[in-house]
Amino acid sequence: MALYLLRRVAVFIVSTAVAAVAVFAFMAVLPGDPAAIALGVNATPEAVAAKRAEFGTDRPLAVQFLAWVSGLPTGDFGLSYVSGDRIGPQIADRLGVTLWLVLFGMLIATVVAVPLGAAAAVRHRSVTGLILSGLSQVGVAIPAFLAGILLVFLFAVTWQVLPSGGYTPLAEDPVAWFQQLLLPALSLGLVQGAVLSRYVRSAVLDVLREDFIRTARAKGMGLYRALWRHGSRNAAIPVVTVLGLQLATLLVGAVVVERVFTLPGLGSLLLDGVANRDLLLVQDTVMVLVVAVLAINFLVDALYVVLDPRLRDLSPRGAR
Amino acid sequence: MTRPLLRLVAGRATAVLATAVLATAAAGCSSGSGGSSGGSSVKSLSVGFVAEPSNLDFTTTDGVAIPQAMLVNVYEGLVKLDQDGKIVPLLAKSWDISDDRKTYTFHLQDNATFTNGKKFTADDVVFSLNRVKTDWKVSLKSAMDVVSSVEKKDDTTAVVTLAKPSNSWLYKMATRVGAMFSRDGIADLANTPVGTGPYKLESWKRGDAITLAASPNYWGTKPKLEKVVLKYFKDATAMNNALLTGGIDVISTVQAPESLQQFTNNSKYEVIEGTTTGEVVLSFNNSKAPLNDKRVRQAIRHAINHKTLVETAWAGRGQVIGGMVPPSDPWYEDLTGVTPYDPAKAKALLAEAGQSNLKLRLRIANLPYAVAAGQVVKSQLAEVGITADIEPLEFPARWLDVVFKQADYDMSIINHVEPRDLGALFGNPNYYLRYNNPKVQELLAKADAGPESDQIAAMKEAARLVSEDAAADFLFLFPNLIVAETGVTGLPKNLVSESFDLTVLAKAKG
Amino acid sequence: MSAPAARRRVRRLNASMVVGGALVGLVVLAALVSFVWTPHDPVHVDPAHRLAPAFGGDYLLGTDKFGRDVLSRLMVGARTTLYVGIVAVGIAAVLGTPLGMLAGMVGGWSGELVMRANDLLFAFPALLLAIMLGAVFGASALTAMVAIGVATIPAFARVARGQTLSVMHTDYVLAARSAGRSRLAIALRHVLPNIASILIVQASVSFAIAILAEAALSFLGFGTRPPTPSWGRMLQESQELLFSTPRLAFWPGLAIALAVLGFNLLGDGLRDWLDPKLREGR
Repeated sequence: MALYLLRRVAVFIVSTAVAAVAVFAFMAVLPGDPAAIALGVNATPEAVAAKRAEFGTDRPLAVQFLAWVSGLPTGDFGLSYVSGDRIGPQIADRLGVTLWLVLFGMLIATVVAVPLGAAAAVRHRSVTGLILSGLSQVGVAIPAFLAGILLVFLFAVTWQVLPSGGYTPLAEDPVAWFQQLLLPALSLGLVQGAVLSRYVRSAVLDVLREDFIRTARAKGMGLYRALWRHGSRNAAIPVVTVLGLQLATLLVGAVVVERVFTLPGLGSLLLDGVANRDLLLVQDTVMVLVVAVLAINFLVDALYVVLDPRLRDLSPRGAR
Repeated sequence: MTRPLLRLVAGRATAVLATAVLATAAAGCSSGSGGSSGGSSVKSLSVGFVAEPSNLDFTTTDGVAIPQAMLVNVYEGLVKLDQDGKIVPLLAKSWDISDDRKTYTFHLQDNATFTNGKKFTADDVVFSLNRVKTDWKVSLKSAMDVVSSVEKKDDTTAVVTLAKPSNSWLYKMATRVGAMFSRDGIADLANTPVGTGPYKLESWKRGDAITLAASPNYWGTKPKLEKVVLKYFKDATAMNNALLTGGIDVISTVQAPESLQQFTNNSKYEVIEGTTTGEVVLSFNNSKAPLNDKRVRQAIRHAINHKTLVETAWAGRGQVIGGMVPPSDPWYEDLTGVTPYDPAKAKALLAEAGQSNLKLRLRIANLPYAVAAGQVVKSQLAEVGITADIEPLEFPARWLDVVFKQADYDMSIINHVEPRDLGALFGNPNYYLRYNNPKVQELLAKADAGPESDQIAAMKEAARLVSEDAAADFLFLFPNLIVAETGVTGLPKNLVSESFDLTVLAKAKG
Repeated sequence: MSAPAARRRVRRLNASMVVGGALVGLVVLAALVSFVWTPHDPVHVDPAHRLAPAFGGDYLLGTDKFGRDVLSRLMVGARTTLYVGIVAVGIAAVLGTPLGMLAGMVGGWSGELVMRANDLLFAFPALLLAIMLGAVFGASALTAMVAIGVATIPAFARVARGQTLSVMHTDYVLAARSAGRSRLAIALRHVLPNIASILIVQASVSFAIAILAEAALSFLGFGTRPPTPSWGRMLQESQELLFSTPRLAFWPGLAIALAVLGFNLLGDGLRDWLDPKLREGR
């Protein structure tokens, strides 16, 4: 198990390093000199050269890359080309908003998906099961931003029970924080919940066929109780995998939902950075998102071992 | 002559000047609106805006978002523009102009202080005006090129000498280049503005809102509000929703005019409609074939039905002007008759120019008004056999780079919001329109130097020449559309300056 | 391979497949018809017929604020949707399948390397790639398609690898290997035909995801350029009229949902149909 985890850690580190090279290289081929862009349309060549020196973009690419990468672990993301401010605190600030949104969304997705999926599996031969499956299919087919527009239309504008957007930090006003996060999280969570419920359903279906459930049932245990006592761990493995994948999806889905609800998260930071050609900011934001996805994958892999004892025995044979 | 100037309205923050700028994890400013307790009027209001500043330093950063929030509210100049676009006193109680119109003597307020506690004196005038030439980075600093010296006579008297008479100079003094800075207050202009205005910056939550608080020792009439929250929205619909749900009290500029219906028939809201100094221009690359042919440009102007364009693209809000001068300027003249809608004539002109199956790149800013107007222009041009390929470029960065800087375009659509910008656009052959007409340049120079009567006549003639030459097409005058909760007072009907004046904003409790 | 194939042919179609196929068929039909006929010009601005109501007069589904026929735009929008989906899924299949097969057939550290690279690519979601590409080249349908396609490569590679691994242990592949057939020959003759069915399923599912991604990108302004109709752009344009004319949002929203539903159901149905072992449960 230790070896397995060690390999995962190694894979995570190497992947992150390669991702850093990829992101940096991608931004390096961008046309346009950040110094010239920052100075606007009437800059003299001397001023541009001075600005280049200030940004450090006059150095060889390899030096720039190392300078950038070495700052990342310490939270030194460099200075914005547009505002001249430190990017690190800015990303930290925005990441907070996005993480709350994603976690909240994930929670809603799980709360929706587990009972829905389990019920659809248990009743998979009945009309109820069919309806539940159909419902999840429809949910999957609705884009999160459309769900967001509809939720705003109903809850904020028509019934006036929740705010239509904005963000208040948790520490400042927990009630406002919760109210403002609820609709965006719902638009992400309901759609992802629909996706997740399909996996829960098939995971539970698999478990239902297992002997230990039949045994437990034969001993007079109720179906749901048997599932909970004996089946949940087995069903959890595929579900956790999907959850991990979905966290990544949610992180990106948040970009669009943040726009609908005017949340000052990473997504809006990225879109603003693109609009302003604040290239270092874009580079940093993309890097943070990519590392977040890689980290999620790593954690999912690590969780496998905890959830599936069989993997522990297999693990020396490799990361399969 | 003015160098290329640029002040464009960022129609919506999708494209936005708004950036993301640092964020010192600054807390502060709630999104809610409404007032606190006590008094007969509300203590705090939230106003929705579309373009968030990338920083607060308009001496080094261009774009209209910064002066919109800061000028008049936080920074003050010696003079300002009133609702009708007239120059009125601010930090200068009055001023004398010498007979040769080259020397301006300003008599200053004696009780104004900066928010850093320093008293405002003539030394600050000298410092601020000289600093434009030495330290400002934005192109509009050229407005001070004409100044040959600034001197302090005594603490409350400052004398400015111009190299030659200039009518536009005092006018420019009402814009951001005329803002007064404290000698000890420029250490961190990007984040900590220090001005003499009625408000000071309380907090700035990047990507979300700027909160201004009333300055306790303001020299003039104190604002009725204790706090104003400027809330920034990337999306027009999100801003509408915020007003509908009480998240904000005012929409400073409506970016989705079709949506006004929600507010017009509701007594809870009030719609204010006036004019701005923003001309939505269909710009031509005058130096590049085929648009270097006047007949082709005229054909395009004849092919566009401006009335239906405004109706379809901007819900009929906005005035058709036919030239580069808004009705709020003294030299305004209705030029809509110069090239009336006439598709047959357009076709004839194209045939005369030997153009068939003309294909043009329409590289527009990706702002709501430009995207909407662009689709109508494309469809109308198709009627006379011109194919326009729309390519929305992200505003500001990409549009500025491709169209404005490199002039790599055939046609573009952008709202030129700067007041009195006829000269900036058409008096400079290096401007992105690449329009070079010595006659126009001569008239503009004459207008700037001469007495007022000459100025009006010369400007009128220049504007007419530009329109007749079809140096650009003038789609419509951007309307000032404000929606507010009923009871909010002190909102500007016409937007004639680059600041959004919050100083008299108020709302009765109720 | 003919025996199992023959058995497949007689297998009964399932409901998912029929419904999914019908929905996809509808989208394809609308797109094809739009090449030769639409009720009106989808991009012609007609101020005289702005916001014409649906179900009455000349416009079956009404017109938008530019006076453009909604039905015509939906039909041409179907074309855009399919176009983006086909190119994106095509890129993913053409690049992802050989990579996955390679990893599955070669194994060892090089196979591992391919899959690690694949995992890495997985960390660059379509939306992120599209925004980055849009920042470089200017957003268009092309950048959207390429981004969605590249981001979908890992999905194909994973499926192809997994299936290849199991095929490699079948008797006929072992026989072919012992007969000294080249790897390429084995890949083309034995592996590809056997993993084709699961790839088709994957294509259908990926198509649904591509439609959603395109809609989100158009909504953000990183997709198809105006005035070319795209469902995502229609939704975005309808927002300001959501209160007065909600139908403008309803139709493109419905079109997206039905198309995604169609491709998902088709994928599910195909999976069950092609793989009898799975029929019982999923």
